[in-house]
Amino acid sequence: MSTHIPFIKTQHLVKKFGDKIAVNDVNLEVFGGEIFGFLGPNGAGKTTTIKMIVGLLQPTSGRVKVGGYDVLTHAGQAKSICGYVPDTPNLYAKLTGRELLRFVGDLYGMPRQQIERRIEELLRLFDLVQAGDDTIDSYSHGMQQKIALAAALVHDPKVLVLDEPTIGLDPKSARLIKDILRQMAERGAAVFLSTHILEIAERMCDRIGIIHQGQVIAVGTMEELRKLRGIGSGSISLEDIFLSLTGGTEYAEIAEVLK
Amino acid sequence: MSFAASEISLPGLWPSIWKLLRLRLVILARSFRRSSMRRKIVVVFLGLLILAFLGFAFFISWKLLRVLRSPEMAQFSSEFSNLLEIFPTLVFSATFLGIFLTSFGVLLQALYLAGDMDFLLSTPLPIRAVFVAKLLQAALPNFALICAFALPVLFGIGASAEYTFLYYPGVLLEMAALALAAAGLSAMLVLLVVRIFPARRVAEVLGFLGAIFSILCSQSGQIAQWGEFSPEQATRTLLLLRQADVAWSPLTWAGRGVVSLGESNWLVGGGLTLLTLALAAAVFTASLVAAERLYYSGWAGMKSEARRRKTPRVASIKPLFPVWVNIEKSAIRLLSAPVSGLIAKDWLVLRRDLRNLSQLVTPLIIGVIYAVMILRSDNQPPSLSSPDASPWIRGMMTNLRTYLSVGLSLFVGWMLLARLAGMGFAHEGRSYWILKTAPIRATQLILAKYLVAYLPSVALSGLYLLAIWLIQSAGLITLIYSLAVIALCIAGNAGINLAFGIAGANLNWEDPRQMQRTFSGCLGGLTTMLYLPLSLLLFFGPPIAFAAFNLPEAIGQIFGLALGGALSLACAFIPLFVVYKKVERLGED
Repeated sequence: MSTHIPFIKTQHLVKKFGDKIAVNDVNLEVFGGEIFGFLGPNGAGKTTTIKMIVGLLQPTSGRVKVGGYDVLTHAGQAKSICGYVPDTPNLYAKLTGRELLRFVGDLYGMPRQQIERRIEELLRLFDLVQAGDDTIDSYSHGMQQKIALAAALVHDPKVLVLDEPTIGLDPKSARLIKDILRQMAERGAAVFLSTHILEIAERMCDRIGIIHQGQVIAVGTMEELRKLRGIGSGSISLEDIFLSLTGGTEYAEIAEVLK
Repeated sequence: MSFAASEISLPGLWPSIWKLLRLRLVILARSFRRSSMRRKIVVVFLGLLILAFLGFAFFISWKLLRVLRSPEMAQFSSEFSNLLEIFPTLVFSATFLGIFLTSFGVLLQALYLAGDMDFLLSTPLPIRAVFVAKLLQAALPNFALICAFALPVLFGIGASAEYTFLYYPGVLLEMAALALAAAGLSAMLVLLVVRIFPARRVAEVLGFLGAIFSILCSQSGQIAQWGEFSPEQATRTLLLLRQADVAWSPLTWAGRGVVSLGESNWLVGGGLTLLTLALAAAVFTASLVAAERLYYSGWAGMKSEARRRKTPRVASIKPLFPVWVNIEKSAIRLLSAPVSGLIAKDWLVLRRDLRNLSQLVTPLIIGVIYAVMILRSDNQPPSLSSPDASPWIRGMMTNLRTYLSVGLSLFVGWMLLARLAGMGFAHEGRSYWILKTAPIRATQLILAKYLVAYLPSVALSGLYLLAIWLIQSAGLITLIYSLAVIALCIAGNAGINLAFGIAGANLNWEDPRQMQRTFSGCLGGLTTMLYLPLSLLLFFGPPIAFAAFNLPEAIGQIFGLALGGALSLACAFIPLFVVYKKVERLGED
């Protein structure tokens, strides 16, 4: 259940790359105990927003607060309670999975005994015990995705930000990740995830934000989004809402022609 | 149920090869068309320069060989005149060997590690077409390079000997056929090796060996004593070259074939040329057949290869020097967890990645080569101090020699440092997000990277100095002073290199050579070149001057430490302070 404490808060967030405005005046709040789905077409500004939340990019203007700490002025505190899984897990290829988790634990200043305990827990959880002593360059994409998520969970973050977390995962691993995210939310953490798979967003997320051309055009629960579009019926899917908001309905007609 | 065969038409072999090659040509032409005017001018100018070089090389070869072939010259150098006759054979052998060796790495990259292989092998193009296109793409640049050097000489031989017209197309045909055969053989070797070892690992090992080999070649001139190269040794070398001309070798047939054609000996010339062309075609065809059988299965095997089980390194492998490991661990524990974690991670990654290892081994090789040179000099003072010189001059020269060894140790350490500090941040590459999203301060990051570079460089320089000190038997005070100088001097050098490394870090590199932006790398190198002599002057000027004026050298050393130390510490901190803010924005380009 939501505790109504904004664990992630963006205020008038703007990011420009030269003349191009990638993110334009984004205001979002994600509360502890909820899973927030961030949707948008390709190039809408999802990854840029996420990178500003986790401190990978500095906003052109506006503020980001994580756990009440400004990501720019109190970066250390904000980052220490945050875990991040990028869309492409670029990891240290020559470290073993176990060494990577140990290294991340060190970066977050965890005591060594606690790190070792967490490593064993996480490797078991993600079914990577056997591969734990292999270097990451021998891992499949799915295994790399899992070890990246394990690295994000080593320090038991209060805020978890995931960019397309289920890409390249088999159904079993995808289900595992969904379960983990749900458990984290139930334990009071805020989960912010971007996804293209609307079914995941519809089933998993407590609230959904839709970004289009750099601007957040809708935020709310599924019911609130339906009302926003003037659709009362509970049978209307998130896909319909998404396409009507982002102007993708014409593609449905093209698909009809191709049939 | 399946579609009728008439509904599906598969592209043929040669149209497919042409499609793939045309694609490359289109990309090449388009990238030229879209490049800036300045770049276009540079490319055209370079093209003209190459043409001019070819013409010049041909002209020089022609005139020079004509002189060497003259009866007057022949009596002075009969061995060389004999060598001229087998020159085409030598060039063909060098071409074949050169293409065979250089194609291995290129083909490995093109056939197994190229990004477009998934796409190409998922299309209905014949695998043989993909193989041939890749083979040609890989072999052509090397072939062009070798031709640029070999053709003017071969044509020069033809012109100087006044060979018939058929010699020239014969040379071109043989060169092309031998290059294709060499590339085909090289490809077969790649296909076989990749069936045994993982392609990526083979590429790493190859890169490592290539780097070590090139360093050894570049430095071999230091060991070889060219001044003592006798005429007997020159004759032996020429005789060795003559051994390439063996009757049973197809490469000899190729050489003799074109020479016979040039000398209007049509039957022998035509026969040998056709024989070698047929052999080259047979080798190339065999490689095509092998490719059909081995390539796809090798590629598919690589894709679906089960991960090999490895025994846990930590548990099973005992360290060679457990005491040293304990000291290392204790030292690392003194630092905060993020800093010590980062140092431990860097040392692990640097050790395991062969691409880095080759760069790290370079200073060791150069160090050993210079140590050999010092040993060869029989520990004699520099020749400037002749026995007739005054004791004052001799004393100063001895002092200078002692301090020169410090300079040499610093040079060895600097080479390691330039890699470790200069690439310290860039080395993170696309994994930098892990550090950037972690609650680690810029100062901690800089400290960790500084120590990763500083500690091994000081250790290497110190050990090197110790070895030279043992050879030269200098005084203990001098050794202690020199070690202090090394520690301080490298501290300053590390600050400069790390700062320029931060300023020019490229985190999106694919090839390790792209880690640092060229401008920043050059500027860093120049600053270091200014810093090192200046700091050495400040460190060693006072003790040498004090000794020269019969004043206590120890006081001079204290002065030296104060002056040089101040400069070193300033260089250790100020450049890093200047770029400190950049660390926070690194990776946001």
